Amino acid sequence: MAVETTAAVQPGLSIGFFDTGGFFETYLLPFVIMLGQSVLLLTILLIVVAYILYADRKIFAAVQMRRGPNVVGPWGLLQSFADLIKFVLKEPIIPASANKGVFLLAPLVAGVLALSAWAVVPVGPGLAVADPNLGILFIFAITSLEVYGIIMGGWASNSKYPFLASLRSAAQMVSYEVSIGFVIITVLLCVGSLNLSHIVWSQLDGAGTMLGLPSSFLDWHWLGLFPMFIIFFISAIAETNRPPFDLPEAESELVAGHMVEYSSTPFLLFFLGEFVAITLMCALTTILFLGGWLPPIDVAPFNWVPGVVWFVLKGMAVFFCMAMVRSLVPRYRYDQLMRLGWKVFLPISLAMVFLTALVLQITGWAENRPDPASLAPTASVSSTLHST
Amino acid sequence: MNVVGLFFYLFSAICVASAFMVIASRNPVHSVLFLILAFFNAAGLFMLMGAEFLALILIVVYVGAVAVLFLFVVMMLDVDFAELRQGVLQYLPIGGVIGIVLLVELVLVLGGLSITPEGADLVVQPIPDMAETSNIQAIGDLLYTKYVFFFQMAGLILLVAMIGAIVLTLSHRSDVKRQNTATQIGRDPATAVTLHDVKPGEGI
Amino acid sequence: MEPGTITFNLAVAIPELMLAVGAMVLLMIGAFTGEKSARSMHVIAVALIAAAAAVLVYTAPEGVVFSDAFVSDRFARLMKLLVLGGSTFAIAMSYGFARHASYGRFEYPILVVLATLGMMVMISADDLIALYLGLEMQALALYVAAAINRDSLRASEAGLKYFVLGALSSGMLLYGMSLIYGFTGHTNFAGIAEAMAAERQLGEIFGIVFMLAGIAFKVSAAPFHMWTPDVYEGAPTPVTAFFAAAPKVAAMAMMIRVTYGAFEHAAADWQQIIAFLAIASMLLGAFAAIGQTNIKRLMAYSSIGHMGFALVGLAAGTQTGVSGVIIYLIIYLIMTLGTFACILAMRREDGLVEDISELSGLSRTHPMMALMLTALMFSLAGIPPLAGFWAKYFVFLAAVQAELYVLAVIGVLASVVGAFYYLRIVKIMWFDEPESGFVPMASELRLVLGVSGVFTIFYVVVAGPVSSIATGAARTFF
Repeated sequence: MAVETTAAVQPGLSIGFFDTGGFFETYLLPFVIMLGQSVLLLTILLIVVAYILYADRKIFAAVQMRRGPNVVGPWGLLQSFADLIKFVLKEPIIPASANKGVFLLAPLVAGVLALSAWAVVPVGPGLAVADPNLGILFIFAITSLEVYGIIMGGWASNSKYPFLASLRSAAQMVSYEVSIGFVIITVLLCVGSLNLSHIVWSQLDGAGTMLGLPSSFLDWHWLGLFPMFIIFFISAIAETNRPPFDLPEAESELVAGHMVEYSSTPFLLFFLGEFVAITLMCALTTILFLGGWLPPIDVAPFNWVPGVVWFVLKGMAVFFCMAMVRSLVPRYRYDQLMRLGWKVFLPISLAMVFLTALVLQITGWAENRPDPASLAPTASVSSTLHST
Repeated sequence: MNVVGLFFYLFSAICVASAFMVIASRNPVHSVLFLILAFFNAAGLFMLMGAEFLALILIVVYVGAVAVLFLFVVMMLDVDFAELRQGVLQYLPIGGVIGIVLLVELVLVLGGLSITPEGADLVVQPIPDMAETSNIQAIGDLLYTKYVFFFQMAGLILLVAMIGAIVLTLSHRSDVKRQNTATQIGRDPATAVTLHDVKPGEGI
Repeated sequence: MEPGTITFNLAVAIPELMLAVGAMVLLMIGAFTGEKSARSMHVIAVALIAAAAAVLVYTAPEGVVFSDAFVSDRFARLMKLLVLGGSTFAIAMSYGFARHASYGRFEYPILVVLATLGMMVMISADDLIALYLGLEMQALALYVAAAINRDSLRASEAGLKYFVLGALSSGMLLYGMSLIYGFTGHTNFAGIAEAMAAERQLGEIFGIVFMLAGIAFKVSAAPFHMWTPDVYEGAPTPVTAFFAAAPKVAAMAMMIRVTYGAFEHAAADWQQIIAFLAIASMLLGAFAAIGQTNIKRLMAYSSIGHMGFALVGLAAGTQTGVSGVIIYLIIYLIMTLGTFACILAMRREDGLVEDISELSGLSRTHPMMALMLTALMFSLAGIPPLAGFWAKYFVFLAAVQAELYVLAVIGVLASVVGAFYYLRIVKIMWFDEPESGFVPMASELRLVLGVSGVFTIFYVVVAGPVSSIATGAARTFF
């Protein structure tokens, strides 16, 4: 997948971009380019989601010594598309007592929000629809909004199980957002920038360089901030309502959670939003802790491979871990889930923020670290970074 | 009109309209949802002013956390809004008068600023020009260096409020079974399981 | 601005930092050990505040820090010492109650420590924002303390009333502050004074009125006193003892700093307001207390009256006036603590009693306590040569020197009327038939009562040093 963007004319989030000039060059052309990039990204994302869904089911099946989807297409490769067509063709049912407007708005919110966060994710050096200065904050804001899809859907269904599920999952997502926020802050303390590309470039330099393996996988933040990496991974699972934290769906008690009353395309949108959020969390783990598009070792065969490939491989590895967790760990009870979030992760991540800041201050790394933007190796790439 | 102006009017119009809908809509949940829409447009206005950090923090804090709690509460309340609304006409005149007074005051303040521009000199400019520093840096300098004392005091006040809420509401009920995770995990087969050789038909 | 510029002189605020950090440490200890640590928490809190006081007296330097928002000068240090002393004795006096489930919560001493911190910030505030933050901090802690016995309907009512009226007064204060800021363009006291020196606008006068009204709520000066009797009566008695002492001193100190610091050039305007507050409080304190049968309610009206007398000195607008107010606060604090030690000792087997008639025949059942309480009552009434007389003498002297004759005359008349209800208590103690005695007085109460009684009776001995300290502190503003 290659989102070949000519990043030089990216408007991004900064508003100072608008200035006087020809209407066509200033507004229309960038708009069309951005539209094209977005459509391209969207298409690729949908294909990725389809195969991630397939992979999820295959891994789950393999762990249970089943065969998984194997009928539609060779080895069942087209199963997801069959599901898609099935959902779209079904009749949408809106319960008579539902709050119609909100009922239909909820899946849209869930789907659109999840997709919009991808706009700022750089999948390779300079490969992003937009690379704003506050990229990580943008993603954090969007993920904190994803709860609305669930809460609105649960309420608008006007039915007991969806409502209970939406209350539960809203509490769950808000709780884990807190620790995710703190984990992100520790990474930002080490980077000194909120730009996602800068976060990746800053991982060229770290523990590995000190140990004599410069630009290797030991430089990435997963080592320097090890407990945070684990906390982020688990919180990401909880935030996306994946098993073992899938209490919003909890088939055993709440039928299918907030989606009970949904069918057809609205259901598909919820489903899509969920899986796009999962891919986003995998991408975020990759960027924050696994060095984004950087090769694991900066030697000949590895650094020939394009960064995008490394990015996708790392994201897939994270997703494989999530799928394994899903198939191996039994579901948490609700009070255990809350206890883990508030009594374990929150204190640890808060203490780590403090500790990280302290270490950075005492060792003087914070003051002596190079400007994250200057770490980008080639001039062309760094110029695209500065253009935003 | 340039694009910034266009967006300004778009955001402000939606913001004002959704603020109106917050008080006008029949369903309290709809009110909260309109409030969220108003927050979004306010964030958009911040963006137009170049305060990206404030815009995103507004979304994270108000939309992502505070409004969720609002929704929580409102969804669980069974409010009969038709009943609440009965006094609307009765209080309309007084509400209208207050609204007009506020409007006149606002006009006077803004008018005063445009009539006597030297009045604007009184306003202290706490942050340097945005060209020299970034959004976050400017806020950080103010909050954590210049006004660190106020910041810490505000934190302590919140601590007092938290202590107060806990002191006045938390009750440890004694008739509830609680689980102690540490002892649960600490159990091992040696202490938890005993094996008995039970003869048929006798029981333990 | 480099990050390095954060190294301002923290030494100036060390007592405050000690209290803040200490309160958090106490909170952690309490959270992990639970209710059973309530008594030891009282001891630690007393030790903490005493340590802060020692640091304040011996090591903390004077100066202005935190972007001119926090000032430590002689006046501030003296007032902080008073507040710390008041809080120490208030916690010590509640020690005996810590074993009662209803008040014996480990949060109580922590709330007192935090309230004390808020008061110290109020006293040191040299900026409207700092003033408001300090005020809210102590007020929030006090609201909770008033309702800490949450099983009692009266305590909850007191807490709620205090909260609602306190919020109203904060609103008025904030409104005044926003007017002041809007018209002067400064939140810093020095900046406000400078802006007011040139000419005064109508908006500034409005701001002064609203700010003084808001502060008058906190010192419970009439006509903003409505909360005082109900809160004093409803709150648990150890909490009332705390309310009557330190917060009054802090609020009065804040009033002095606001009037002489920020509004020094508007003296002619605020003097009228203060004089009105003083007259209203003195008269209300004198007349409304006559009909009271509950001793806590009586003390509430008494404190309203005393704040009125203290305001007389403030209205004078001279250095003698300010030093008179300071002397008044010192003496008021000590007398109040002693009186509340007696009220806390009014305990039978089945609990505290609060009716004045319960004191009848105290001279025969508890002669020593009766003697001390009599001295305190005479002193509160202002009978020479006890401490209370000298307190009144200095403020009236200042009023006369400033040619505020009407104020002085009304003050003396109110003092005579007020003497009636104090003497009535003395009469009940010495000439009525005794009821069954109280349980023996706890040692910490004895200590407080003894110190207070001896100070009151032999005030003349220490009058010289107290006056010179007060004059030195008052010189800060002139």
